[in-house]
Amino acid sequence: MAGLRGVSQSARSLPLSQLSRPACPSYPACSRRSASTQATESPALHDLETDSTLGAPQLSPDEKRQFRPWKRAADRKGFGLPGSRYQFHPPKYSRGPLHPIQSPPSSDPVARDFVPGPFNMPRMRQTYQATIASDIMTLAYNHIPPGTPDREQPERLRDWDGTSEYHKNRPKRGPRGSPVLPLVEQNITFRNIPEITEITIASYAPQAVKDPEHLLVARTMLLAIAGTTPDITRTKSSVVQWGIIEGQRAGVKTTIYGNAAYEFLDRCIHLVFPRIKDWKGIRATTGDSSGNLAFGFAPEEVALFPEIEVNYDMYPSKMIPGCRVFVKTSATSDRQARLLLQTMGVPFYGEVRN
Amino acid sequence: MGKLPSTLLRRPTSLYTSTSTTTTTTTTKTTSSPPRCLLQHQQLRHATFVLRPRRPYQFTQLVQLSDGSTFTVRTTMPSALYKSSKDSRNHVLWQPTEKSLRNIEVDEAGKLAAFRDRYGRGWDIDEVVPTADEAEAVVAEAAAAAKTKTAEVEAKAVVDKKAEAAQEQKTNGEDPFDSLIDLISSYSKFDPNTKGGKSAKDAARDEGKKKR
Repeated sequence: MAGLRGVSQSARSLPLSQLSRPACPSYPACSRRSASTQATESPALHDLETDSTLGAPQLSPDEKRQFRPWKRAADRKGFGLPGSRYQFHPPKYSRGPLHPIQSPPSSDPVARDFVPGPFNMPRMRQTYQATIASDIMTLAYNHIPPGTPDREQPERLRDWDGTSEYHKNRPKRGPRGSPVLPLVEQNITFRNIPEITEITIASYAPQAVKDPEHLLVARTMLLAIAGTTPDITRTKSSVVQWGIIEGQRAGVKTTIYGNAAYEFLDRCIHLVFPRIKDWKGIRATTGDSSGNLAFGFAPEEVALFPEIEVNYDMYPSKMIPGCRVFVKTSATSDRQARLLLQTMGVPFYGEVRN
Repeated sequence: MGKLPSTLLRRPTSLYTSTSTTTTTTTTKTTSSPPRCLLQHQQLRHATFVLRPRRPYQFTQLVQLSDGSTFTVRTTMPSALYKSSKDSRNHVLWQPTEKSLRNIEVDEAGKLAAFRDRYGRGWDIDEVVPTADEAEAVVAEAAAAAKTKTAEVEAKAVVDKKAEAAQEQKTNGEDPFDSLIDLISSYSKFDPNTKGGKSAKDAARDEGKKKR
């Protein structure tokens, strides 16, 4: 190989036989040199090659067969492209947007956080898009003649009277009475139609403190109902009379979004509510005055869910807990949220608040 | 042999650290020891673990409501078809105008109706019996309305029946359970027009017939 050092890279890549082949006489004129011709030859034309490239000898078929660049590429081991068994695994850790190694987006099937779907268009969502949204918009239409000046919103935070020097640049005070600043109800317009944002299902099983089996049953029940893996919650505070200590595992909860939320609500309204005995509807006083409504299922009502009912025998019937359902909507007041749920088919009863 | 710089991330292993310690102690070779990093033991604040979502298997299921409408849902239940017997399509709360749902009495086999056929309904507290004034009003009405002969006959029958019932009530007071004689006398009295006499199915069928 040492002899080839001086040869250029392209020449080195040629088979040896081609290189070692005796070169054709490049200067035939020079070989037949004589004194008379040398005298006539001008020194300017001395460097000129008289030979034509077209006259170069052809490669023999044998030599052609020997020239296999793909074979050379295959023989080069350890440097080539990966073989067919190679599989891309996205990085386990995301190290920020500036790192050279980036994980693929979650929409990519090889990504670690990829979730397949959607597999169907939920009936409730379809109804919402086709009918309910436009219905609500029409129902809540409030005609404002063009050119009407905007009504001024009163200042809800209290100003400091400038009696002290220290009042300068102080942040304004909250409303009198309660520290919470309630939401301002927004008008329903074509781009502000309330919809279901998410549904949180929570189940509290205080017996789980003594018998952890309760937690397992609650988990299984919630998983069957919601179709997601629930999280375990802990008690917030210790109450001696109830025998609970702060931080004990005593409940489960999950939150479902999007299609799953619509399907859960659909199942509740059309399959579970009608089966509850003497069910009047949801109490109309529900709501946190900012557009989130809630209702609950007693333990025997939870068993009416088709997912629980199908293998009810597998559950220890005395351990099945009840659950609470919190429907979060994008509405900014309870009455708008109630309107949304009513159009979806939830009956309300009793006194209306907010 | 010098190491070429590689784009691959160096994997921290215990082997690496052990070799580096030996080289530093012997100092026979002047190799650059790899930087010590114990990725396994320390929490990395600059790297977030990309969690694989844990989700239970979900099946696509066809749900058939009681009115025959079907739709697909994603559910954890493995059965391919779910037929519901009671849902919002046959519940009074959602279908307030549906008359067949109004009848609360469930008598699909017709056993209650058969019982009434045989033993009457003198035992029924809820039985509504017209008072004497009502019966008189009915008489007047019937007399005014009765023009054709057949209508007259019908009205007479109705009036007779109602008057009789009123008289019965007058004689035996408020509670029909007070006298056993009444209970016996009402035995095997055929009255098809009493409340709850027909099952929901029969009532619906009769209504359909009348419409035609």
